[in-house]
Amino acid sequence: MPSKTLGESLFERGVSRRGFLKYCTALASIMALPPTAASAIAAALEKAKKPSVIWLEFQACTGCTESLTRSHAPTLEDLIFDSISLDSHDTLQAAAGHGAEQAREQAMKDNWGNYLLLVDGSVPLGNPGFSTIGGVSNLEMLQETAKGAAAVIAIGTCAAYGGLPKASPNPTGAVAVSDVIKDKPVINIPGCPPVPVVITGVLAHYLTFGTIPELDLHGRPLAFYGQSIHDRCYRRPFYEKGRFAESFDDEGAKEGWCLYKLGCKGPITYNACATVKWNDGVSFPIESGHPCLGCSEPDFWDKGSFYQALAQGQWGSAAGLGTAAAVGIAAGAGAALLARRKQHQAREEQP
Amino acid sequence: MSKLDGIKVRVEDPTTPHWVTENTRPLLHEIHHALQRLLEAGEVKTIDLASLPMGPADEARLLEILGVGEVEACIDAMGKSVIRETRFPGVWFIEHFNTDDQPMGRLIDITFIPTLLLSQTEDMRQGLAQLSLYLQTDDAA
Amino acid sequence: MSLLDFARGPGLHWAFIIFVFGICWRFVGTLLIARRIKLSTPRRTDNWLMGLKAIETRSWPVEEFHRVIRFQHYSGYIWHISFFIVLFFFQPHILFFKSILGISWPGLPNDVILVVGAIAVATLVALLGRRLSHPVLRKISNVDDYISWLVTTLPLITGFMAFAHVGGRYETLLALHILSVELLMVWFPFGKLIHAVLVVPSRFQIGASFGRRGVRA
Ligand code: SF4
Ligand code: SF4
Repeated sequence: MPSKTLGESLFERGVSRRGFLKYCTALASIMALPPTAASAIAAALEKAKKPSVIWLEFQACTGCTESLTRSHAPTLEDLIFDSISLDSHDTLQAAAGHGAEQAREQAMKDNWGNYLLLVDGSVPLGNPGFSTIGGVSNLEMLQETAKGAAAVIAIGTCAAYGGLPKASPNPTGAVAVSDVIKDKPVINIPGCPPVPVVITGVLAHYLTFGTIPELDLHGRPLAFYGQSIHDRCYRRPFYEKGRFAESFDDEGAKEGWCLYKLGCKGPITYNACATVKWNDGVSFPIESGHPCLGCSEPDFWDKGSFYQALAQGQWGSAAGLGTAAAVGIAAGAGAALLARRKQHQAREEQP
Repeated sequence: MSKLDGIKVRVEDPTTPHWVTENTRPLLHEIHHALQRLLEAGEVKTIDLASLPMGPADEARLLEILGVGEVEACIDAMGKSVIRETRFPGVWFIEHFNTDDQPMGRLIDITFIPTLLLSQTEDMRQGLAQLSLYLQTDDAA
Repeated sequence: MSLLDFARGPGLHWAFIIFVFGICWRFVGTLLIARRIKLSTPRRTDNWLMGLKAIETRSWPVEEFHRVIRFQHYSGYIWHISFFIVLFFFQPHILFFKSILGISWPGLPNDVILVVGAIAVATLVALLGRRLSHPVLRKISNVDDYISWLVTTLPLITGFMAFAHVGGRYETLLALHILSVELLMVWFPFGKLIHAVLVVPSRFQIGASFGRRGVRA
């Protein structure tokens, strides 16, 4: 059955051109494109075909799926039914057990070479038994499913960088999707969880333009991860003036001053929270008075306390310093004594 | 009595923070510039509010400054959209909602008339076809 | 591990170890080193007083040379004072010291720090210009002088860049700033910068031994 283009199916559902344009404006907004891109999106979408999507869940907490189902614009239903064909999702689909596996295999066969593979969760390399689906290890399933994929999208910090499972001491030997898949484009959508609109935005980009968006050095789409939280933070004017909250309930906190001293990682964190925001655009952590944890950056769990300011060093202990001082004193005294002895000898040798 | 009762909670009014940031000023300057360009060169511009850093009171403040002008239009297509001219003619504030009435976008359009208000050629063609059909069946009857 | 993680973690840790080791080594070594055998009878006995006095008198240009050395002298003061203000009163720096010393103190507004930092850099540049253009000064300068100049200037430059977010991503700039400070700390004990620690005892020593000989220090 030749699948219809998105434009055709919307049209058949009685969606007017105005409605379609509005939808495209919303898409431009969530793709972080200028509003003028709406007409280009409309033109592309009219020709776009629904891509098949397979979603695999490995060592994950399902938070990313939870996040996606709270994506407000367009609603998940719109996205799934209008834009993509989600052929297999371990959590969302009704089928379970072997039925679920069959759905995945069928989708792979039907769309070989063209489907999108979405992954959340990290892949344990330590022992294949740490995480399995239907007796198949995560590693094996990822490798097998990725073979026929057009591209792989790693959703959430666990899939993108290993995340919590990989945090020291990494008991399962967890790695990121990109550590396993080397021969396919991998798009990382990190965040713990990622901003829902960013997930749909990246899918929308692929659907609209059929291409992989431009990525940064950590494999993240620049459209969403091109600027740091700090670059887009409304508290930035306070940072510039050096007005900082010193604790969570002091005058500065009440005045809405910058949270740098409370450990804000905004300056080194690249994500869309500051503009796209959370919960249907209501607010984001900094707006609610809590510093950014840096959840979209590699190894953010292992960067010391969330409440330690960026300007502070992270070092083990002062013991090393004591030893250094003691050794230094000993070396200095030794050198001086040696010099004295030499001087002494020289004097004795003088006639 | 649960242990949680020991935690003191003070509820503060979240709607009116007593502090303001200066984030609206650059945006107002941008609007000013765009309006100038519109008059001089006929250039239209759209600003997506979701792409700008905004603090809690900033958007309310912006809307307060922009005020309400002479035109207000409501569109019902894949959810509601409200299009309002501000008290600065040529500056429009547009709000889109989806079918569940959740906000989908907030934009500021600097233009003579927002494109969405114009009838769309495709819709007009479809309407024309329907009208022709009606006339045909009416004639036949 | 990212560059910033390295700079804030192991880099900082080792820089501190080398810094502390180097200072202890140089300081103790200098204190305990052999003194010249004094064969003459001392002209005065209150040498320690003369030593203390030298610490004070050497802090001001000597009357006779005032005209020649005043630029160098006062720009030296301006440089050191502005450097200390930036080092100890910029708020993120106070946070840094707090994480090491456990105590903190009030900082200065960023605008003030920016101006003072600019003065510090300008003075450093002027002093380098003088070093290069003054024939005698140039002759008596060695590699140590230039390296010491470089490692003190780099933290200021990278600090400005990190503050203003120009020239790269913030995490890279911050990492470079911290690394440049680490370079300074590693070089500090082994080059002429050790004067920060030795200046007072060596002035005292000169004053005391001049006093013994009855010479004005
Ligand atoms: S709160 Fe965080 S992100 Fe915002 S200005 Fe301060 S340091 Fe930057
Ligand atoms: S504000 Fe920072 S920690 Fe919080 S969700 Fe956004 S990127 Fe993650």
